[in-house]
Amino acid sequence: MATSTPQAPARQRPRQEQLPGVTFGRVLKSEWIKVTTVPSTVILIVTTIVVMVGIAALLAWQTTFLFDAQSNPDMAAQMQAQGAPDAAEISRDIPGSGLIFGQLLMASLAVVLIASEWGTGMIRSTMVAVPNRTSALLAKQLIMAAVSFLVGAGSALIGYVVAQPILDTAELGFSLDADGALLHIINTGSVLALVSVFAMSVGTLIRNTAGGVVTSIGVLLVLPILVAIFGGGTEWVADAARFLPSSGGEQMVATTIQDGDLNQWQGSLVLGGWALVLLAASLLVTKKRDI
Amino acid sequence: MIEAQALSKRYGAKAAVDSVSFTVHPGKVTGFLGPNGAGKSTTMRMIMGLDNPSGGRVTVNGRPYAQHRAPLREVGALLDAKAVHTKRSAYNHLRAMAATHGIPDSRVREVIELTGLGSVAKKRVGGFSLGMGQRLGIAAALLGDPHTVILDEPVNGLDPEGVQWVRHLANGLASEGRTVFLSSHLMSEMALTADHLIVIGRGRIIADAPIQSIIDGQGKARVRVRVDRPQDLLGSLAGEGVTSQVLEPELVEITGVEPRRIAEVALRERVLVYELTPLQVSLEDAYMQLTQTEVEYQSHDLPLTPATPDMQQVPAHMEGR
Repeated sequence: MATSTPQAPARQRPRQEQLPGVTFGRVLKSEWIKVTTVPSTVILIVTTIVVMVGIAALLAWQTTFLFDAQSNPDMAAQMQAQGAPDAAEISRDIPGSGLIFGQLLMASLAVVLIASEWGTGMIRSTMVAVPNRTSALLAKQLIMAAVSFLVGAGSALIGYVVAQPILDTAELGFSLDADGALLHIINTGSVLALVSVFAMSVGTLIRNTAGGVVTSIGVLLVLPILVAIFGGGTEWVADAARFLPSSGGEQMVATTIQDGDLNQWQGSLVLGGWALVLLAASLLVTKKRDI
Repeated sequence: MIEAQALSKRYGAKAAVDSVSFTVHPGKVTGFLGPNGAGKSTTMRMIMGLDNPSGGRVTVNGRPYAQHRAPLREVGALLDAKAVHTKRSAYNHLRAMAATHGIPDSRVREVIELTGLGSVAKKRVGGFSLGMGQRLGIAAALLGDPHTVILDEPVNGLDPEGVQWVRHLANGLASEGRTVFLSSHLMSEMALTADHLIVIGRGRIIADAPIQSIIDGQGKARVRVRVDRPQDLLGSLAGEGVTSQVLEPELVEITGVEPRRIAEVALRERVLVYELTPLQVSLEDAYMQLTQTEVEYQSHDLPLTPATPDMQQVPAHMEGR
């Protein structure tokens, strides 16, 4: 074996002093560049906002019909007997009424953002540039959660603004300081942020786009339907169902809390708990496994 | 400088890399040569901290890769050409990688020019040819102006001009005092590019020496002889431990004896010799000899493996990961 080892030229050392290495802020910037430079991501975000605002407008319009019907006393009595909601009460739920679709799209996006890195091999570039896997994943989570929050709260706010003139035609308009109205709008964003953390963690664990989307949508949106269909009669199932992530999210955006239901903050603990547990699991597993 | 000590990687019972130790020194191009599935890529992924070793350790410039504050400035690596999101443009891919280290956009444009990607930098990587993908991977490796450059099969898919460019690049980087470590299964390419060779087979280091000494050490004299009565000549040489191969009725290749000795025997036997050409042992031959021994040695443990050396014996998943 040859033993001569020429010294590297000294010129490279000082440059490293001037340009220190990886910081969390820089990783955040890198993840932001990644989100904004894949066209389909941007399209999906815009679509989510359009759909959520559209649903709010549509529901506002529909609520005016309900109001018209209920202003006829005979009709109102009949509808109340059937358990129809009060128009004024449900109108405050309108801004964030597209939340289910928002969850569907943002959860999918969250899975795609991480799982596509495994699918394309990009993850190796990511982890070579940022060998601290936890900070690489946290930066991606943080960017996606922030985007989701802004999409959710922004859509709800726009939905509120768009819905007011429609609701005003039926004396159903309300101001932002009405009971629970502002919290509803903010929490529409919070739910999407927590849902995206949940979904991205699932995507990190499964490392596969299709599997990650099916799993996270299954748990978030399909499981509650199954529980409602098959578990309706059983008391413990109904009791446990309150602690599904979807139930937590529902309570977070509720404008009226029924007796015995969790309130907004308890709801956020449920959904937040799920998100945190999965996040922790995904960080631990990624740290141990090979990339 | 890359230092591996008893580095191992096992997948279940199979050892993809089996306790290898080697040092890659700065200032020269070190080739990492081995057949498919020999453990080259696995070793390189362990160097870059992507795979956790099952045993042993490997450091780059004095510490494990993941412990560097500015890893891209220490080590640049091309691990596989398509470690890129297919829907992102080359420029944005490099920009996202550069952002993690605060590397300015001017450097991004610099490596794009350096690798000849100028005209396609704004196009989606998904549409890139293998060769362009390789160039992008090399651009990413050079982003941080690193001390150590690791290239896994850099000439795969490159056209002749690109192959020559990689060769010049590797030599240029080494002459600036950097550590250059590149893997290949192309022996001929290594002969032209590398100064030093580490040969790996079945997860073990078979040879670790300057390239010339590998060629010399493995080479036995091989001579091509045109002769009117080959059988008579070979008969007289038989006692001297030679092997021979009759290529044409009057053309034989004799291994294991010096040309002068052949001429002496021919003179004594009064056969007519009208060509006597010493053949240089190619790196390829030296390599085949090295890896054959390794495969034959292994086949004792594995009775199902055919005795003939077969480079495809190792399961594909070890290479493809």
